[in-house]
Amino acid sequence: MDEKPKDINSGDGNGQDRPEIDLAKHSDHHMIPVWFFVGVILLIYGIIIFFTGISERADPPLEALKSMPTWVQHPAIWWGALLTVIGGIYVYAYTPRKS
Amino acid sequence: MHLFFSIPPLMLWFGAPDITQVAKRLILLSPVDIAIIAIYFAMVLGIGFYLQRYTKSGEDFFLAGREMTAWVAGLSFVSANLGALELMGWAAAAYQYGILATHWYWIGAIPAILFLGLVLMPFYYISKTHSVPGYLKLRFGEPTRALSAISFAFMTVLMSGINMYAMALVMKVVLGWNIHFSIWVSSLTVGAYVSLGGLFSAIFNEVLQFFLIWLGAMLIPILGLVETGGWRGLIARIHQNYPQGDYTHLWRGLGHFSDNPMGIHWTGIVLGLGFVISFGYWNTDFLVVQRIFASKDIRAAKMAPIIGSYFKMAVPFIVILPGLLGLALLPFKLVPESAVGLGQHSYNEVLPLMLARYCGPGLLGLGITALIAGFMSGMAGNVSAFATVWTYDIYRPLIRKNASDDHYLSMGRWCTILGVIISIGTAYLVMSFGSIMDYVQALFSFFVAPLFGTVLLGMMWKRVTPAGGFWGLLAGSVSSIGMFLMVKFDPCTLAYIALSTGAKDMAENMYRALWSWLICVIVTVAVSYVTKPKPVEELTGLVYGCTELPDEGDLPLWKRPIFWAVISAVLFLILQWIFW
Repeated sequence: MDEKPKDINSGDGNGQDRPEIDLAKHSDHHMIPVWFFVGVILLIYGIIIFFTGISERADPPLEALKSMPTWVQHPAIWWGALLTVIGGIYVYAYTPRKS
Repeated sequence: MHLFFSIPPLMLWFGAPDITQVAKRLILLSPVDIAIIAIYFAMVLGIGFYLQRYTKSGEDFFLAGREMTAWVAGLSFVSANLGALELMGWAAAAYQYGILATHWYWIGAIPAILFLGLVLMPFYYISKTHSVPGYLKLRFGEPTRALSAISFAFMTVLMSGINMYAMALVMKVVLGWNIHFSIWVSSLTVGAYVSLGGLFSAIFNEVLQFFLIWLGAMLIPILGLVETGGWRGLIARIHQNYPQGDYTHLWRGLGHFSDNPMGIHWTGIVLGLGFVISFGYWNTDFLVVQRIFASKDIRAAKMAPIIGSYFKMAVPFIVILPGLLGLALLPFKLVPESAVGLGQHSYNEVLPLMLARYCGPGLLGLGITALIAGFMSGMAGNVSAFATVWTYDIYRPLIRKNASDDHYLSMGRWCTILGVIISIGTAYLVMSFGSIMDYVQALFSFFVAPLFGTVLLGMMWKRVTPAGGFWGLLAGSVSSIGMFLMVKFDPCTLAYIALSTGAKDMAENMYRALWSWLICVIVTVAVSYVTKPKPVEELTGLVYGCTELPDEGDLPLWKRPIFWAVISAVLFLILQWIFW
């Protein structure tokens, strides 16, 4: 109950009894890197947006996009493809693998 | 960034209560868009549940085990600041004031961030404290910590509630969503993932949110520049639409208060914003600094803000440019919130208007997800910082001193929930009494500028005494409150604070911060000279000159923080020159 706190702010404020942080205790982590989660959500979004763009490519573009080059007029297609590629790269690079 | 600093135009929404009654909707979402938003919520909650297993100690919960790399800490550092209020508020400011709004991203951020990385971070890191108030305790003693911690904790949850209400209001205006639904769903989601995984979870989600914000918002400037024919076409259209005002120069119109739409002088921008407010926020506001505390080693702690500086410098591309594009391309003029009539739109709606202009199904969902992600990253930052400061700087020293680490971990989880509940309460309070927003916003500003004076002197000068630190901080805060009340009761006195009759509200914040910082410094120095300083041996690891900074080792030049900081500084100067 009255275990001495491991906190590093303990002491009398003179800065003399601040114990070192034990970083070694985390060395056995096998945490999935955050980049993997980033890749997963970008991949999912990319696929959804890309196929949404494909399904609507026959529809007229938004008014503001009509004057733009043809390939720009359906941004969902190329932006979705870009997200898919970025997401795919991150997923591939950071998928946890057994070493 | 906190509201007083970052989003004045958006806050005008609070001054127009009838806006909540206006049944309008800028954007209609398709099922695909709803699915994209739902996937986002599922992902952030999933990350929280996943990280719960790694959050076993106070160190894990409050400082993410201090094992974040420079990139993760740096992106999280920027993301915690990149709230959606920031996105929408500064896009609105860019429409209203032109490129002047960029000052809040460049001179109002970059020098301070580099200073944090190169100068202050080593001391924060070496002192091995959990928080900024924790450093004040080590340097000045318990009273200074208590003053700082209580004001920070109180203001943080209030600001979180204001953020939440603003988000719900935006969702109502833009999407037509029920305001209560937005408040409860977003806040409970943040509360769930932060209480499960602590700072681990907050940081992981902030990195995720960083990508979503950028990839969701970046299409607007890209397509906008295609439509205008590039930057020169954009400028030409703005000049054509608004031949009277100067919306395209950073510094040229700052020679006199009346020469620019902000009503501010360059001294206010350089000294008030660029020095006091910016350095105060980026160097002492625990909301952002906590992310750097989680770095795995001192090099990562120095590199993280420097990495963040590059992204901060690029944020105007997704925030300011949409506002300028609105000036150039929208076929109608946006008006102040107080002047919105039937069929009109306010400055605050410029970003959603541009989103609707270019984005169809799918992309709209991504854009709205970017806004929601921004809101949630800001709120998670507030809540996680509150949990840390409450547990380690208020609860433990003042209420229960010698409990176990498990007890403090449990307290951290519970006060995360408590922070969310208080935030919800604040949101409803603001909903009922909109003018409270003005006061809370100002309250936060009372403490940031003087706190920077206290921390800076404490770190740089060993002669500063505990009494000097406490009384300086108190005098700075009290003087700031005094100036605020003075202008509130007699607006004419703004001319004395800003030293000009042409000064506007924006100038008040800048000069009030400057004076309160100066008063803090003067009182700190004066009291220190008449009180007894701490022995030098007690200042080891806390003060420059008494601390041996760790050697970075024999690293090649391109791996050294100073190298990347210099490049960042040079880029910053080049941008000032280009957009002068």
